[in-house]
Formats: sequence, structure tokens, C-alpha cells
Amino acid sequence: MKQVNNMSELFDRLNDLKAVFRYGQKLIPIIQSIIDFMRDTVPLLEDINHSIADSTSKIPKAQDQITNVSSATELATTEILDLVDSISADIVNIENTFKELQKEEEEKGMLWAQIKSLLPDSAEAAELINKFENGRQFITKSSELIEIFQKIKNDVYNITLSLQVQDITSQQLAAVTHLIESVQKRLASLIVHLDESDLHGFEFQKAYSTKGTTFDPDARYTKSTERQEVADEIINGALNKTSQDEIDKLFS
Amino acid sequence: MKKVILVADDSPSIRKFVSFALAMKGFEIISAADGMEALEKLPNQKVNLVITDLNMPNVDGFELIKSIRNNEEFKDIPIIILSSLAGSDEIQRGMNYGANSYLVKPFDPKRIAYEVSKFLN
Repeated sequence: MKQVNNMSELFDRLNDLKAVFRYGQKLIPIIQSIIDFMRDTVPLLEDINHSIADSTSKIPKAQDQITNVSSATELATTEILDLVDSISADIVNIENTFKELQKEEEEKGMLWAQIKSLLPDSAEAAELINKFENGRQFITKSSELIEIFQKIKNDVYNITLSLQVQDITSQQLAAVTHLIESVQKRLASLIVHLDESDLHGFEFQKAYSTKGTTFDPDARYTKSTERQEVADEIINGALNKTSQDEIDKLFS
Repeated sequence: MKKVILVADDSPSIRKFVSFALAMKGFEIISAADGMEALEKLPNQKVNLVITDLNMPNVDGFELIKSIRNNEEFKDIPIIILSSLAGSDEIQRGMNYGANSYLVKPFDPKRIAYEVSKFLN
């Protein structure tokens, strides 16, 4: 009885083995297709690897170009500001000279009035003095000129405000450079994982160097006073705001 | 005698803007490219007021303010922060470090002259 049981168990095992072989025969084409797929994939991965290496090696150049743009705009801004500074100094000189002339003219006017009072009987002298005074437009035009001076000064201030866009864009470009640097580091680590032999000619030293620049990635160029108002409110409280009138008074 | 203002900012154009706005009002300007340079220049001349950026290499604006406030000789100098950082956290932190005022970039040249005049006139 025991022998019959053993034989039955043996047949069961043989059937299992037969099933494994049948299953294996079915698996062979699948394994073959996996091998074919991997064979096709390897050149693709190598292509990707080369592309990443190529892109990564170009990144330092892109960073340098962005830095050059920042430096060029910085230089141009400084030059423009030098000119604005010079124009501004000229305006102040002209304005001061004009004020001196205005004072002299006022004094002359008073002198003419005195002369007129000294010649009450001479109709001819009075007529000449009146004719002369009517021809003097300096006093009547002076208020217009003072307004023009003030406008030029305001325009100069506005130019300096607009030129600050350079500082803001420089910070934004520095943020982009920093982002590119981060991408470069990620790409470089991918290359290392794929195949270190593809790193030939790649300047790692440059890739990881920090340029020592500081920036605010959220820097914004806006002429709105909203952000300053928020700062004023934090510092002074809502009830103690700095009014534009107060500021303008200092410059009138 | 002209009042002396020390301007610390890593942006040369901003240093020039500030100089432009304040030199016209009769102030003398000394410039520094970062907090470290500002600290080096501070003892060389009698400085009446400091204007500082926050984001600077080597020694940033917060550290500069802290160093000034911890120095017996300079602790009473008025300090104005001039920064593009406009979050309430930075403003509050700057004031907690001991700044007297906070201006946001881009700044109005009239406003900075007004702010300086408040402390120096």
C-alpha cells in the first residue's frame, strides 16, 4: 500500500515538472522579446546620455551669457546715471543763476519805480519808463520758467526711478542663473549614474562653482507704492503713514 | 560740515542711485559693496547714518545692523534698510535687529532724501 502511494506521488511530481517545462516553453519567446527590447534600448539610452552630457556642458556658457548681460546693463545704467547726474547739476546751476537774475530784476523794478516818483512832472519820462517796463517780460515769464525747472527736476527723479529696473532685472537674472546651476547639478548626477565614461571634457569645477552673488528671486519692478505702504504700516502703524505731501514739501 | 552717509549695497547702480538722491541734498556719501566693507569703513570717518541692503555677500545687512548695534561707539547711528525684500517677516526682522526705517526697492529718490532728513535734520 505504501509503494502505491509513493508511485502516485512520483507521478504527481513528474506532472508538475512537465507543467514547468510547458510553461518554460511559453516563457522563452517573452524572454527573447525582453532581450531584444533591451538590445534596442541601450543605444537609445546612450543617445540620451550623450544629449544630457552635451546640454550640461553648454550650461556654463548660458550662465556666462546671462552674467554678461547683467554686467552690460549695469555698465550702461551707470553711464546713464552719470549723465543724469551731470544734467541735474547743470539744472541746479541754471536755476540758481536764474534766481539771482530774478532778484536783480526785482531790484531794478524798484529802482525804476523810484526814478518814476522822482520825475512826477515829466510826462515824456513817465511814458518812456512805462514803455520800458512793459517791454520787460522777465518777471512775468519767471514763474513759468520756475515751473519748467521743477518739471525737469521731477523728470530727472523719475528717470532714476525707472533706471532701478536694472537692479531688479539683475536680481531676477541671478535667480535664473542659480536655477540653471541647480538643473546642471541634477543633469551631471544623471550622467554619473548612466555612464561615467561620457564625462570627458566636462568642466565639473565650473559647474559647481558659486559666483558669490546674492539676489532676491521675488524682486519686482513696480512704480506702485503699495509695497512701501505695507512696510510703513509695519514700522509706523496704520495711523502714522508718511504722506506724499510731506515728502514733496522737502523738494518744493 | 556735511553729514556723512554710509551706503552698503552690492549693486553698484543702487549705490550710485542713492548717492545721486542724497548728494543733491548736500550729504557726503561713502559706499561699501557689502557688510564687511561697511564695517571696515565705519571707523575711518564720522558716519552720521547708514543705509544698507539686506542681501549682500560676505556680511549681509542683518549681520551689519547687529554688529553696529553691538558696538558701543556706533550703536546710536540711525540705520535705514533699503531692500527689494518686502515681506512682513523681513521688515519685522530688520526692525527687530535695530533698523530705524525700511525702504523698499525700487525706491523714490525723494522718499529716501526725506527719510534721511528725518534722522539728520
